[in-house]
Amino acid sequence: MKRNRCLVAPIFAAGLFLSAPAVASTLIVCTEGNPDTLSPQYTTSGTTYDVTENIYNKLVMVERGGAAIVPGLAETWTASPDAKVFEFKLRKGVKWQSNKTFTPTRDMNADDVIFTFERQGNRDHPFHKVGGAAYATYENVLAGKIAKLEKVDDYTVRFTLNVPTAAFVGSLSDGSFAIMSAEHADKMLKAGTPDQIDTAPVGTGPFSLVRFQRDTEVRMKKFPGYWGNATPDMAAKVDNVVYLIAPEPSVRIAKLKAGECHIARYPNMPDFETIKADPKLELVQGPVADMSYITFKLKEKPFSDKRVREALAHAIDLEAINKAVFFPGSKTTGSLVPPTLWGRNDELKPRAYDPEKAKALLAEAGYPEGFTTDLWAMPIARPYMPNGRRAAEMIQADWAKIGVKAKIVTYEWGEYIKRIRNREASVGMTGGMWDFPDPGHSITGRWTCVEGKPRPNNTPDWCNADFQKEMDAASQISDQEQRAKHYRKAQEIWLADIPGVLLGNGAKFEAARREVKDFKVQPFGGTPLYGVSLAD
Amino acid sequence: MSDAILAVPEKIPSRAVELWKSFARNRAALVSSVVLVVLVLLAICASVVAPHDPIEQFRKDILLPPAWLEGGKVAFPLGTDDIGRDILSRLLHGAQLSILIGIIVVTISLVVGCALGLVAAFFGGLIDTAIMRVMDILLVFPGLVLAVVVVAVVGPGLFNAMLAVAIVMMPSFTRLTRASALRELSREYVSASRSAGAGRFHLMVRTVFPNCVAPLIIQATLGFANAILDAAALGFLGLGAQPPTPEWGTMLSGSLAYLQSAWWMVTFPGACILVTVICFNLVGDGLRDALDPKLRR
Repeated sequence: MKRNRCLVAPIFAAGLFLSAPAVASTLIVCTEGNPDTLSPQYTTSGTTYDVTENIYNKLVMVERGGAAIVPGLAETWTASPDAKVFEFKLRKGVKWQSNKTFTPTRDMNADDVIFTFERQGNRDHPFHKVGGAAYATYENVLAGKIAKLEKVDDYTVRFTLNVPTAAFVGSLSDGSFAIMSAEHADKMLKAGTPDQIDTAPVGTGPFSLVRFQRDTEVRMKKFPGYWGNATPDMAAKVDNVVYLIAPEPSVRIAKLKAGECHIARYPNMPDFETIKADPKLELVQGPVADMSYITFKLKEKPFSDKRVREALAHAIDLEAINKAVFFPGSKTTGSLVPPTLWGRNDELKPRAYDPEKAKALLAEAGYPEGFTTDLWAMPIARPYMPNGRRAAEMIQADWAKIGVKAKIVTYEWGEYIKRIRNREASVGMTGGMWDFPDPGHSITGRWTCVEGKPRPNNTPDWCNADFQKEMDAASQISDQEQRAKHYRKAQEIWLADIPGVLLGNGAKFEAARREVKDFKVQPFGGTPLYGVSLAD
Repeated sequence: MSDAILAVPEKIPSRAVELWKSFARNRAALVSSVVLVVLVLLAICASVVAPHDPIEQFRKDILLPPAWLEGGKVAFPLGTDDIGRDILSRLLHGAQLSILIGIIVVTISLVVGCALGLVAAFFGGLIDTAIMRVMDILLVFPGLVLAVVVVAVVGPGLFNAMLAVAIVMMPSFTRLTRASALRELSREYVSASRSAGAGRFHLMVRTVFPNCVAPLIIQATLGFANAILDAAALGFLGLGAQPPTPEWGTMLSGSLAYLQSAWWMVTFPGACILVTVICFNLVGDGLRDALDPKLRR
């Protein structure tokens, strides 16, 4: 009798275990790195937005796989004719997620919206300094712009801006402006653990965080109270989402083939053919709004000399790099604005590959024998830079021909970004994606200054008054034709002064198993996983 | 009866010949040593033998398969990598580097390790305890982890990587030397030498050390293999040789993305590491069999 029971129990348990996956559907995404934080407000990293996009919601969102602005936590909005006053009507009955230390007692309302923006914008706000106060996105996009933020009633908020801002509504679709819970913040402050609002996220989104295990996984489960579940394209269609962290692209593809994950982010170009050939897999392609470049440390010799920068630009064989390193269909570019957006200056061409001219320029600048520098190489694949190390090795070889000896420097991704932002690189490789569909966005963050002080992501510390003037003018008027004109002029100034060299514009690819239904490549910001389902 | 006792061999073979004979009896070790000799020769003549400059990028010929496959070119016998560098040339120059790494690492750890081991054995007491406990601490950490820590402290780079691997390997030499020296110290010939008035240094270097050499030779040969493997591992982690230096481990890590689509980029450096390490291990085994009288019988 006793022996029998001992035998039956494990078999029964095993049976339960085996049948479990059929009941709860789990979407597994092989992703390329750790989110650098769990707070949307403290990041500009796409890897992090991929996670926060699924936990939080914003007032307005970008349609899945497109560029249109659609309602999020705000159902409707109105703008004053001078583009200075914006009023948002909030969605009613939006539930907050709960976790071990927090159970919400009320729905999302205007207080949460005000808390979200006040925390980032108001230096005296009790939560402003929690977590370090480095709100990169807010600084780039909204700092100094909001004159007044009022609660009109529980479900209406009104932004009054200092300057007319045509792109204001669109900019609120940035992943960093995810609405956070004021009630959660209050409770955590009272409990003496205010930093929990960033480390134990509570959102209104389709999935809630179960756990984040560094270098292993981010696990989320379906949030039953999610407001979007009623809308087919917005609804969460799987029970669990797991981000498996696999920094090596070929490992992600191997896992995808083995069925260990359903979606593999950023597949490697060499694997495209294998993916296409496999009947179980699908290569999903989409447009991308990106900027990929190297920067020069302008405050230091020899890069303070424009002739040196020009020489280095002429010495890089961009065509070869595009062919060897970038994704199929990528092109060299001389314009900051990518082809997917309006406002691009199509007349601008990158500097031609001309080592002789480069040598002459170097000699003129007083470096006939060249010099030694470091050259930073991105350690992971991004849509705008599929293989940073190889690109760096090619630039290194090109520069060696004009006597410039470059030492390739690289770090783990989080460390790399931190050091690049600390201005440690003489020649830094970086880039970015547009987080919302407005040409000014990524350029403002990466190439402009505030009152003569470079923005955090303006790593070469390039403050150019003419450029600044055009950028400011473009952001303050609402007529698109006029704005485009200013942006085109700004791009011309940028190319002429060479604070960096644009390496190319790419495309975005994702690999997925065939059983994944309705997965779309997201051109802007993080990739949402609502609307995605799994066939049996 | 008496005949048998009187049957003395005509000529007693010298120690070296005897060693060689017993080593040659081990086929695997013999073949391995031949492979290693060829490898060393190739490495020494790399700049003559290699068809191209290892860091030159032939940008029209990226990702060419080996010559015998469709699409390959005779000019690039083992194909090219993703930015058009000749793989054969890189492997040959990489061999130079790997063997250099082996020699330098083994020399550093052997010299320092033996010196520390002898000092520990001769002086005993507090000095012995201090040295051996430090070695024990080093032994506690897994080799690669310790190497990564050392590189993290002194910064990435080929020389630092070698230093790191040398530090990792040192304790084995120290322990081996100390153990053999202690054993020899209790022998009569040492006492005889001491009573004849030999100084401590003379005893250490001239009397005792030569008799500890056999196990050290074996350890050094095996260490050579470990050094190459560890340096490759550090290179793989981006902590060893820096680009564009051709190094086997770095070549491997740079080509991992091509595992499924351009197998030659991964396979050849991997095979080189494999063959070299196996050969050194087999030679080490052969030497142990030849040098250790207990095993020989």
